Amino acid sequence: MNKNRSKEYDVIIIGGGATGAGTARDCAMRGLSVLLVERHDFATGATGRNHGLLHSGARYAVTDHESAAECIEENMILRKIANHCIEENNGLFLTLPEDDIAFQSQFVDACTSAGISTEIIDPKLALRMEPSANPDIIGAVKVPDGSVDPFRLTMSNALDAKLKGADILTQHEVVDILKDQDRVNGVELFDHAKKEKVKYYGKIVCNAAGIWGHNIARFAGVNINMFPAKGSLLIFGHRVNKMVLNRCRKPANADILVPGDTICLIGTTSERIPIEEIDNMYVSKDDVDVLIREGVKLSPSLATTRILRAYAGVRPLVAADDDPSGRSISRGIVLMDHKERDGLEGFITITGGKLMTYRLMAEEATDLICKKLDVDKKCETANIPLQGSEKSDETLNNVSQKVYSVNGITQKSAKDRHGSLAHKIAKGDENEDSMVCECEGVSIGEVKYAINELHVNNLIDLRRRTRVGMGTCQGELCACRAAGLLCESMEEPGKAKDDLANFLQERWKGMSPIAWGETINEIQFTSWIYEGIYGLKPDNN
Amino acid sequence: MKFDNIIIGGGLSGLTCGIKLAEQGKKCAIVSSGQSAIHFFSGSFDLLGKANGEEVTNPLESMKSLPENHPYKRVGLDKIERLTNDALHLLVRSGLNLNGQADRNHYTLTPMGVMKPTWLTLSDFTSFDQKDSFPWKKAVILNFSGFLDFHTLFIKDGLKKLDVQAQIKTVSMKQFEAIRKNPSEMRSTNIAKEFDKENAIEEFAQKANVLSDGFDVVILPAVFGLFNKTIADKLKEKIEKPVLLLPAIPPSVPGIRTQITLRERFQELGGTYLLGDNVEEGVFENGRLLEIRTNNHGDIKFEADQFILASGSFYSKGIVATHDKLYEPIFGLDIDGDSNREKWFDEKIFNDQAFMHYGVKTDQKFRALMNGEPVENLYVAGSVLGGANPLKEGSGAGISLLTSLHAAEQILK
Ligand SMILES: Cc1cc2nc3c(=O)[nH]c(=O)nc-3n(C[C@H](O)[C@H](O)[C@H](O)COP(=O)(O)OP(=O)(O)OC[C@H]3O[C@@H](n4cnc5c(N)ncnc54)[C@H](O)[C@@H]3O)c2cc1C
Ligand SMILES: Cc1cc2nc3c(=O)[nH]c(=O)nc-3n(C[C@H](O)[C@H](O)[C@H](O)COP(=O)(O)OP(=O)(O)OC[C@H]3O[C@@H](n4cnc5c(N)ncnc54)[C@H](O)[C@@H]3O)c2cc1C
Repeated sequence: MNKNRSKEYDVIIIGGGATGAGTARDCAMRGLSVLLVERHDFATGATGRNHGLLHSGARYAVTDHESAAECIEENMILRKIANHCIEENNGLFLTLPEDDIAFQSQFVDACTSAGISTEIIDPKLALRMEPSANPDIIGAVKVPDGSVDPFRLTMSNALDAKLKGADILTQHEVVDILKDQDRVNGVELFDHAKKEKVKYYGKIVCNAAGIWGHNIARFAGVNINMFPAKGSLLIFGHRVNKMVLNRCRKPANADILVPGDTICLIGTTSERIPIEEIDNMYVSKDDVDVLIREGVKLSPSLATTRILRAYAGVRPLVAADDDPSGRSISRGIVLMDHKERDGLEGFITITGGKLMTYRLMAEEATDLICKKLDVDKKCETANIPLQGSEKSDETLNNVSQKVYSVNGITQKSAKDRHGSLAHKIAKGDENEDSMVCECEGVSIGEVKYAINELHVNNLIDLRRRTRVGMGTCQGELCACRAAGLLCESMEEPGKAKDDLANFLQERWKGMSPIAWGETINEIQFTSWIYEGIYGLKPDNN
Repeated sequence: MKFDNIIIGGGLSGLTCGIKLAEQGKKCAIVSSGQSAIHFFSGSFDLLGKANGEEVTNPLESMKSLPENHPYKRVGLDKIERLTNDALHLLVRSGLNLNGQADRNHYTLTPMGVMKPTWLTLSDFTSFDQKDSFPWKKAVILNFSGFLDFHTLFIKDGLKKLDVQAQIKTVSMKQFEAIRKNPSEMRSTNIAKEFDKENAIEEFAQKANVLSDGFDVVILPAVFGLFNKTIADKLKEKIEKPVLLLPAIPPSVPGIRTQITLRERFQELGGTYLLGDNVEEGVFENGRLLEIRTNNHGDIKFEADQFILASGSFYSKGIVATHDKLYEPIFGLDIDGDSNREKWFDEKIFNDQAFMHYGVKTDQKFRALMNGEPVENLYVAGSVLGGANPLKEGSGAGISLLTSLHAAEQILK
């Protein structure tokens, strides 16, 4: 990467969330030279800490017509271009006895006017379609909601950008914005791996750092009025619902249950937090209690379903410029040309919005970048599928059949995770089939592929790519196996031990708010294995 | 069914207690629902490895500084030394070969390559006198190709810190071809089954001898001797260099063998061992437990003069946590622990966790408390007891062995 230090990029994009990765892809597709920088790993901000709901827009139909219309349009596009990241489950908006059934017709009208198809379903039929729903429902409306895997979506965008020539740096944190008088011309980065500072130059710097965009703007000397809204979620270890379940009422706490893969998620709470706290995401006892209480109303069986983890993210909401009090917070997309707004050339911010609208956000940002650079190329991201999404299942099967001669589970899991890129998971010697993680079906080959090709720097990154350690493996033994493999690619085995300790700490953070039942048993067991038998310590060097 | 004593839980505590009572002529039954902690055993029985944040050299001496409600203190330090001898002899009589002494910890090497103090170590494993000196200079670490559960690089790194040069080599064995075909089968116990056969050992030893030429010591994963109790010794005889076995990812082969050895001893003494059966409830009268009922035996009641609860900690479901309480699931005994779940955890995983100290409350004689009153004939032993964090202290097996012997003595009095 050294050779690039002197090179001037057309655009430097800050933030490896869906927005940043999507913008990098769009810019690269339009022929720009691109550098994408991320301080930790892909999808470690709001993108990796949300609900994964492929909104139909219905949730916003009554309160925010514009967002609703954006959602349904993007929903249809993502089904085409990001097929491997999406489950087309459909959703139900349920009316419970405690809710006002009159809201239902208002809701349906609003959906219709936003272009969202709805179907009012008799509660009895709804229960047959979705047996896990609360049997007391008095109303149900079907909408085209779905689930989206944000990790996969972000990775696919980043990989596609890379294939089209973009440079990508993870573990690189922007610590300053470089300026030449009234013009931004680069970034100063701190390389967390090498522990050193480096500078990169670009004609345009695009701030896509989500809520952290607040800090990035500060570095550039401009002010964005951000209002961090924390939301907490719970992941259940078993998929109780087939369809997305919503409450048919004005958006409130803990009223969406989203299924995905083998799990489901209830969320969210919403709480204003001070900007100083955005890096400190804990889930309180009260959050957990509210989520369970409300979740059980949607689907009673949640009361007896094991909770795997609790986590929280921060929505990057922005207050209107003319309203510093924050009363009129926009939930829509916010694109700022800081030349227009603050007289600072070469610097733009793209934020707000939703995961759902990342592509549209990228399109709008890239349009502006192109305009500034005087490049006349049309956006094609709505038409050209992402890497891994090519739809023909047949080719997919053929390819992966060739790749894996032996093991059906690994083959299927890897295909689910990497789409048509699964064929990249090299079949080297016979040992590549060996299982690292049994409950998630992760093989040595897949781990090696992730380490070599997918910017994996540590076990936590690896978990985001492969689901190693995501499941309920007793004692996280798979993490220990994976640590062994990762160790081979690290210069320092001592670092691999610390990495394992960090991984356990990170799991702990997600588990301790919900640690009762099987979870506390497992935590105790895991501690005995790693600390007791292995002699692992927080600091092993 | 009527017994003199019934023990709930067939882990280290239940078995120790059962062996002791059966040796004294008691008619005993052990009812155990499932696997116990010994399945994951490192190979070393810990007595006290750490006190006040310092590594312990003499456990008997350092016990004096433990808090008053610690199980060792409640057994009584005047009795502990004798009980440690009794425990060692009981284990040896049962057929285990052990090294170590209670007044001086020795060290074993962990798979992370660090030295850890402990009390008694199975003779499979190597005991070291000193924490920072390793008797060999050049080590070869051998692993089997396709075996992910042995961390050769971590070991090598640990040895480097002890000034030992290590080299990693891989061995292929045709015996493993079948298990390697199924990608999740390449695990310790399956390998151990192959090595239970003597010709596999013979063949492996030959390969190891070639590969260890020029080295002082051969390091291997502890996958020898699952059902075959002499095979680990045979291996050591056949390999020309000293052999150092280190634990692989659990389940632990020497641990399972230990469990089998103790269970067989109990059965040879006439004990009844019911595995896979869960004790569900008990019938009490006038502060006495009259009988218990189990899952598999429906209406058949189990009666005894005395009962011992050795049902383990959370991981064995000896105690259970829900979002709003802690409880003992069989009898609803009193719990020593906070019911507010916010108090259970520290946010850093490697800190001392409050929940690790939780357990069933007892009186001075280790009889279980129920609504504040002792149950006259229900004793509690092992990791279901509270008052210590055995992980942080390195006192797991010690607490189990000594409290079980103590409970047995109360009954035999
Ligand atoms: C609880 C919750 C639930 C949600 N549910 C949904 C949902 O179901 N559907 C939906 O569509 N949307 C949902 N959203 C909204 C959605 O998650 C966000 O709008 C979206 O993910 C924002 O993506 P982003 O890329 O703009 O920001 P982020 O994902 O936050 O990305 C910003 C990135 O910038 C990086 N960064 C920060 N500082 C620096 C620096 N100094 N140098 C380099 N990099 C830096 C961060 O590490 C981060 O990776 C939810 C949000 C929350 C909080
Ligand atoms: C993974 C792990 C590794 C460990 N390694 C070591 C080590 O290397 N060295 C060391 O000194 N200590 C170690 N320990 C500490 C260990 O807890 C003690 O050493 C000791 O083995 C505990 O024995 P126990 O019999 O009290 O409990 P357990 O071994 O937990 O046994 C309890 C038994 O009771 C059964 N049971 C529970 N409820 C019922 C019921 N209702 N009906 C019937 N049966 C029931 C369970 O199935 C289980 O078999 C380890 C602990 C764990 C968890």
